[in-house]
Amino acid sequence: MKKLICGLMAGIMALSLMACGQSSASAQTEGSTAEDKTQVETADKETEKAEEVQEGSSGEPIELTMYFPVSVGGGPDALIDALCKQYHEENPNVTVKPVYAGSYADTRTKVQAAIKAGNTPDMAIMFSIDLYSLLAMDAIADMDSFCTTDEDKEWLNGFYEGFMMNSRNGDVTYGIPWQRSTIVLYYNKEAFKEAGLDPEKAPATWDELKEYAAKLTKKDGNQVTQYGIEIPSDGYAYWMLQTFCTQQSGFNLMNDTGTEVYYNDARTAKGLSFWKSLAQEGSMPEGIVAWATTPSDFIEGKTAMMYHTTGNLTNVKNNATFDFGVAMLPADETPGSPTGGGNFYIFKGVSEERQKAAFEFIKWMTDDERVAQWSIDTGYVATRPSAYETERMKAYAEEFPYCLVARDQLEYGYAELSTYNQAEVQKAIDDAISYVMTDQAEVQAALDTAQETATNILKDYQ
Amino acid sequence: MYIRQTAAIPAYDNRRKRIHVEWGTLLIYVVMLSLLMICMIPLIWVIRTAFIPKELALDLTAVAAPVLDNFKRVMAAAPFDKYYGNTIFIVLGVLLVQFVLITLAGYAFARIDFYGSKALFVLFLSQMMIAPEVLILPNYSMIAKWGLTDTRIGIMLPFFASAMGTMIVRQTIKTIPYELEEAAKADGANLFQILWKIYVPLLKPAYISFGMISASFQWNNFLWPLVMTDSVEKRPLSLGLAMFAMSYETGAQWSDVSAATVLVCAPLLLLFFVFQRQFMESFMHSGIK
Repeated sequence: MKKLICGLMAGIMALSLMACGQSSASAQTEGSTAEDKTQVETADKETEKAEEVQEGSSGEPIELTMYFPVSVGGGPDALIDALCKQYHEENPNVTVKPVYAGSYADTRTKVQAAIKAGNTPDMAIMFSIDLYSLLAMDAIADMDSFCTTDEDKEWLNGFYEGFMMNSRNGDVTYGIPWQRSTIVLYYNKEAFKEAGLDPEKAPATWDELKEYAAKLTKKDGNQVTQYGIEIPSDGYAYWMLQTFCTQQSGFNLMNDTGTEVYYNDARTAKGLSFWKSLAQEGSMPEGIVAWATTPSDFIEGKTAMMYHTTGNLTNVKNNATFDFGVAMLPADETPGSPTGGGNFYIFKGVSEERQKAAFEFIKWMTDDERVAQWSIDTGYVATRPSAYETERMKAYAEEFPYCLVARDQLEYGYAELSTYNQAEVQKAIDDAISYVMTDQAEVQAALDTAQETATNILKDYQ
Repeated sequence: MYIRQTAAIPAYDNRRKRIHVEWGTLLIYVVMLSLLMICMIPLIWVIRTAFIPKELALDLTAVAAPVLDNFKRVMAAAPFDKYYGNTIFIVLGVLLVQFVLITLAGYAFARIDFYGSKALFVLFLSQMMIAPEVLILPNYSMIAKWGLTDTRIGIMLPFFASAMGTMIVRQTIKTIPYELEEAAKADGANLFQILWKIYVPLLKPAYISFGMISASFQWNNFLWPLVMTDSVEKRPLSLGLAMFAMSYETGAQWSDVSAATVLVCAPLLLLFFVFQRQFMESFMHSGIK
């Protein structure tokens, strides 16, 4: 038996050594072949270009590949397909092939694998907070360099500042906002009436929120039948904490180059303590509130208010059997909310001609009319103020005024937590929040630990 | 399952003759039944939610005549016929090649005495300890070099040589008396005939138990086919399901997710019910040694 175990261990060691040796060797060859390949490709493209010039303005047909994730229900994949087809009809020379790539995390994996293997896509829609991991891979091209004309520059300046904060590193723009969201307050008007509150007046400050939530909590003996509020604390916990931080005169959890976080700042602690106090007073469920079931709880009347993404507006609108309202988040010193969602990126490692074609496509996609239609169809926030001036958006707002709440709040929109080594840095604060919510740690102690962990991870980038 | 049944029959006879309840047996059955119920709850819930009208999905006590609306919506949202075709092609293709390879490799490790055979076997087995996700990047690079990305053969390729299958076959062959092979040799059978006529029939339980494991793994495999394929025509069922299960931002749409889940797992469940007995037996034959 001992012999067998020894043998097994030796075998594993030998194998892992072999694997290490092999992978570095193969990485080298891969690197060189990938380079060769791109060189060959660019050479090909150059000859094509030369031919094109000879042939005149007819132009070579281009097929662009775009990876995209789906993270809301309601079939946005079909909409993307349709938009790509329409673009091809208007520009017969360019075919855009949309490739569904799973969730945001899966899309990141697929893009990384494709780039490593020299099979780089031309563009992708990816999480806006993937910016720094893409920069660390040196994978994405900056958008400013494509904006050569005044018209282009005007277009680039036409997006909401709140969305652009997650699309830039310092002053350089790398992402173009597309499927973006923000957090809003949903409230049940009937529950408001029952509790003697004005259904047209949502809580506007932290104090009011606390007061309303307490009034809206209904008990049957010791059993709570309706909570005042639910603020999800799993998965996107850091995002929810950011609401309480940015409401303190725009304080955010990180700097705008992704190299520093402020987890144990007094303002972070104040925000987290306020969040926790809602549960301590019994107006929010104890422990972790799940992201995925919060909308169901709201629709079923188990909670009278909730913090959730604007991406849920269509879902709630279609399924709630009661009259509901949507409002900007209650403010502390100022209103505030982080933004979220996905951006367009253009990749390095493909020819300039293809990059330019991809840029033209992105410009076409983010045209006012299409941005407005995309917002109406999916519930994402229109990324350009001018999209709200279009006829179709005006008509929709008349029918459903709550779609404008997100727009009004964007004046106070801030960047979503985004740093180098995103996953680990984000996990540090998520863990701290879950320890506090489950009473395993005090607010300041949990935040100190999170800060220490994050600082260690980010040391290499400072 | 098999053993329990034979044990239960005399107890039942006793009861009838003496009209007295054996409390021990009864207790065991109560425990077994309640455990069964606990295991069945998610399955029952998924099936119920798939067939109930969308408005009632979240009301646990609601009763309604089963409807197919959820299925219609899901079927319209993705080309499930194509996904089924691809998944079945991939599962069967992988199984076929695996059976050939694990039979030959298992035989070699069990019966052929060559230098370093034990060490090689241990080395071969250690691939079971590497999580498949770790291998996505190197595998993808290799397959991209061969120009096989976005093909079904590319999805199947990394799974052809199975350490687990080879081990199961080797262990089963070791339990088959060597005399059978000697007798066949004495009758003039060559190696291929020995394998085909002696071992393959006796390995049937091993094939079935490994086949179930391998088929369910391929059926559910998600990340690898996602990374490998770009076009809808080449994609398997698991990716079709993901369209519905991944609405992270809005929270789950339970009716759609349940209907899609039933669509995806029904064939596998049926397969398991059909082969259930062989599956259990084969585990008793080959697994527990």
